[in-house]
Amino acid sequence: MTHWLMFSVVFPILAAALSFRDDSDLVARLKRRDPDAMSELYNRYGRMMYSLILRIVRNDAVAEDLVQETFLRVWNRVHGFDQDRGALGPWVLTVARNRAIDYLRSVQGRDLESPLEAERMENPSLFLNLETDILNIDRMRRLKTAFEKLTPNQRTVIELAYYEGLSQTEMSEHLKQPLGTVKTWVRTALKLLREELEEQQVVA
Amino acid sequence: MTHQEMQELYEFYALGLLEEGERAEIDEHLRTGCAACQSGVRRAKVTNAAILSFAPDVAPPKRLRKRVLAGFGVERVAWGWIAGWATLTAGLLLGTLWFATDANRVRSDLAAAREQAVRASSEAARVQTVLDFLNAPETRQVTFGRGEQQQPPRGSVFVNPKSGVLLIASNLPALGEGKTFEMWLIPKGGAPRPAGLFKSDPGGKATHIAPGAIDPSTSAVAISVEPEAGSSAPTTTPIMVTSIASAP
Repeated sequence: MTHWLMFSVVFPILAAALSFRDDSDLVARLKRRDPDAMSELYNRYGRMMYSLILRIVRNDAVAEDLVQETFLRVWNRVHGFDQDRGALGPWVLTVARNRAIDYLRSVQGRDLESPLEAERMENPSLFLNLETDILNIDRMRRLKTAFEKLTPNQRTVIELAYYEGLSQTEMSEHLKQPLGTVKTWVRTALKLLREELEEQQVVA
Repeated sequence: MTHQEMQELYEFYALGLLEEGERAEIDEHLRTGCAACQSGVRRAKVTNAAILSFAPDVAPPKRLRKRVLAGFGVERVAWGWIAGWATLTAGLLLGTLWFATDANRVRSDLAAAREQAVRASSEAARVQTVLDFLNAPETRQVTFGRGEQQQPPRGSVFVNPKSGVLLIASNLPALGEGKTFEMWLIPKGGAPRPAGLFKSDPGGKATHIAPGAIDPSTSAVAISVEPEAGSSAPTTTPIMVTSIASAP
């Protein structure tokens, strides 16, 4: 319990995202169109969605609109979610991110091909059997440390991908750097982060 | 791409950020059933969730909860009053019947009364949401399906730039097993955007709201029949498309 409380303080957003213990019941109630389930969904994920979306769009009013849109999307698509094998937290995060990135793209006049692809990747049937249990407090702390230790260039490309929705080609244009250089930064950054999780899994 | 090169791209693949060629190549590889790569993609989704969670924690304004839940008919209605009246009604019913019938009969009627009260309050919440939408001064109406030869869906689309789109339709076709209706908002010159799933009643009638501000470029609303989980793009010919660009 103490461990979980500490986790909640250090990673408040992820603590919400990873409270999977009761999500199967919540998903079942959402599928039954139980209105109170929406209230619970908001309690569990509203703050997480808002924080992520606000980080991406950097505008309070827009973030509020997009949180509402995210809840609608989750409500409308939850039929396709497998309550026994699905990971609600990562799915909800993905849906929230996609709404925010879609908004950024529309206001920046960027092409629609990538967001449509992103939308395909948010299909609830693709969030089955995820090993979310690897994200305990120790691993998350080390992953966060690894994230903060990335070089400025590595961190920039990761943030451009996750919070701006830029492909590597778009990053290359945005940063005015050769595509090969950008790919190296991306590959190295992801390798460092991925290895952190993989190494931790072996140690654990 | 080599196997290792693919594995290095799974996080971006899961984010939908790969170029078309790279994505197609990984799609094709995953379809071969490579267990290591399927596991790699699943792991990438967890890594992505972790990285996204590093966004600075910000508490949303309190009004947001009310706003979000009101869109689903929760918290808009004074539930306390309804619950109070339901309890009072049920209590009176209990008192009246207690002297006239046996205890089992009373319990049964009480349960039915409560169930009816809950159903009524839920319906009241839905109706309130629709009425609020219709009464908003900036809501515009577009009718569709009038005077056409076949048996098309008929009804109206109500458009409110700030609040969303409300569809009231009748004459909808019967849905097959595992199918649902999906509404689409179509921007001018762009691809249709999903605007929610809904089903009709046995008489072919349906009311559906897609809440939220409407992209100003939205020029049409459409309905298609889709698999129950919904689709990201229409997979069947729409059964209704109506322009909202010239809504009065």
